[in-house]
Amino acid sequence: MISNKDLMHILIADDDEDDRTFFSEAMTELKMNNKLTLFNDGKDLMDYLTDPEITLPHILFLDLNMPYMSGFECLKMIRANNRFRDVSIAIYSTSSSEKDIEETFIEGANIYIKKPNDFTKLKKVIKEVLNINWQFHSSGLNKETFFFSI
Amino acid sequence: MKLLKLYKNTQIFKIALVIAILVVGYIASVFYNQMKALDASVGLIATSTETQLELEKVLSVLSMYENNLRGYIITKDESYLSKRFLEKGELQRNISKIKLLVSDNPARVADLDRLNKMVDRRFELYHETLLLSKSEVFERERFHAKLKESNNFTQSMKTFIYKTINAEGDKIKFHNVNHQFELEDSIVSAFLLVILSLLILLLSFNKMNVDIVELKKSNDEFRLLNLSFNNAEKIAGFGHWKINGKTAVYSFSDNFYRLLGEEPHAFEPKLSSLLKYIHPDDVDYVVEAHNSSFEKMESTNIMFRYVLADGKIKYIKSIGTFAKNSSGDIIKTGVVYDMTDQYERTLELEESNIELKSINAELESFNNIVSHDLQEPLHKIQMFISRIEGSEFDAVSDKNKTYFSKIKLSASKMQTLLIDLVNYSRTIKGDKVYVDVDLRDTIHRAIDELSSDIEDRNATIKLGTMPRMKAISFQLDQLFINLISNSLKYSKDDVVPKINIFTEDIFENVYFGDKLILDEEYHKIVIKDNGIGFKQEYADKIFILFQRLETDPKYTGTGLGLAICKRIIDNHNGFIKAESEPNVGTTFSIFMPKS
Repeated sequence: MISNKDLMHILIADDDEDDRTFFSEAMTELKMNNKLTLFNDGKDLMDYLTDPEITLPHILFLDLNMPYMSGFECLKMIRANNRFRDVSIAIYSTSSSEKDIEETFIEGANIYIKKPNDFTKLKKVIKEVLNINWQFHSSGLNKETFFFSI
Repeated sequence: MKLLKLYKNTQIFKIALVIAILVVGYIASVFYNQMKALDASVGLIATSTETQLELEKVLSVLSMYENNLRGYIITKDESYLSKRFLEKGELQRNISKIKLLVSDNPARVADLDRLNKMVDRRFELYHETLLLSKSEVFERERFHAKLKESNNFTQSMKTFIYKTINAEGDKIKFHNVNHQFELEDSIVSAFLLVILSLLILLLSFNKMNVDIVELKKSNDEFRLLNLSFNNAEKIAGFGHWKINGKTAVYSFSDNFYRLLGEEPHAFEPKLSSLLKYIHPDDVDYVVEAHNSSFEKMESTNIMFRYVLADGKIKYIKSIGTFAKNSSGDIIKTGVVYDMTDQYERTLELEESNIELKSINAELESFNNIVSHDLQEPLHKIQMFISRIEGSEFDAVSDKNKTYFSKIKLSASKMQTLLIDLVNYSRTIKGDKVYVDVDLRDTIHRAIDELSSDIEDRNATIKLGTMPRMKAISFQLDQLFINLISNSLKYSKDDVVPKINIFTEDIFENVYFGDKLILDEEYHKIVIKDNGIGFKQEYADKIFILFQRLETDPKYTGTGLGLAICKRIIDNHNGFIKAESEPNVGTTFSIFMPKS
């Protein structure tokens, strides 16, 4: 387990190239010395995760609407595998429909982030999410705290 | 009334009839005996009369002999003494005849014996007298003495015979009186017999008449009932059948034939002739069900199809049960019901249900498109603007800065509209789960949701006591979010917005259409603000989809918010109304059913 915060390994799976760019630019601007790996869709992500050689990520930002394999399917598969029990999953979606929030909460996501419409806000969100004490957050998790609001 | 009822009771009538017949039988036997006695007394009278006659004959014969003897004594003419003179034969016949007549009377028989002896003695006297008169020496003294003796004996004989005749006469008199009594008795008996018989006859006739009238009446009723039953079968589209389990005789009702597309009684009611109307795929099933029901004596409830002569298919439900008739035979009776219309309607309903489901699915996917795919580009536009604002915004001219802010505003407005549309369509959708909702929690959630707007405008919200109710939780959240946000949106610039949410008893008469709202049945929740208000005449318009009163761009409404509220309240069978005054504020009153 890597305990050093500066060396946090973060994954993001999003089929939208612009959103991936926004995300990585925000990370860069935040000047947080983290390792960020980008995936173009759910299948890419799962291919990577199923490789037993890799070191497990700390946080996975997961878009829901993706081709080949949706974020929801990825979530189910990851949560079904005990190997990934310490990986925190942040849903990162344009939609904030009640249904999506409800279902991802039930399936074991840790937080639900609606993609901000403002770059400054995005940076703020990433910063806050990376600073979350996951152990503390998860123990008191309920539907109200699940939906991340700035 | 009670008597009439008794009279109508056949059982009692039967008993009365039997008693009457017994009485008549008794009287008839009495009458027969009386007639027999009458006959006997007539016989007795005749016998006595005949005895009298015969006795008199004896007397007259004796007198004749005496006269002849006297004639001879005076005239000495031998012709008086003809050859039959003094022969006992005739008298003997008379006496034996009398003997026969009086054989049952021993005293009289003794009398007759005495009479016989007397006749013998008299004949001796005749002979003695005749001898004296014929002798050559006429002994005058002896002759006179013999004549006198003869005369006396005749006299005593006459007395004896008259006594006997009189005795018979008395007997006749006695019998006559008896006869009179017996006759009277038998007349009474005969009269009684006739009267009673007549009474029985009349009663029976009357009873028969009454029974016939009753029978006719019930026959009439039965006929009418049958007629209306036939009509009912025709209208309701069912028919009935009956099978005698012992004799295997089938009978079908008129409408049973009509259901088969045939005229009533078009063919002989038989299973074999019926089978050709049953759909080939269903025949085995129907026959099997029918046979096994007879084996197990269980009622049947089956569905199958008829194929009519014109090829039309009818869906039939047949229900059969067992009963026994008056002769103890097992009867299976049943009803067939034409379910074709019902079946077709169900099919139609199923089809439209499927259609509805696909429409719902379409709506769902539309929702997804609106909530995700349409928001995606807006999100991008806003992001890129924020990127420009963050990097080289200073280099942009003031004019272009205004353009950017307008683009931003439009994009944000579009996004609001999309969210409202999604919310609106969600209120139409079918997934309505009613749960116990604490309205206080609901409103708190709404306030949380709107916290940034509330902070921006410095608004204060006062919340009174709130009821609990069965409701669709997320829709109530939406309702209060929309109402509070509406009040915030249309607040006055120069006045701190104050929103007051409270419950109130319903004391005035409130009508929605014809529906009177009663306090026992409804909660009244009031949301009162001090915003810009509107003219009361527009009060109904605000709940219509895309109807907006304010067109000033500073008010960011989409025309959907209150329409959504109306829909949600409709979904809960509640009512909403708005009362407003320009520059004073608006009051929304919500009426929600208590159960």
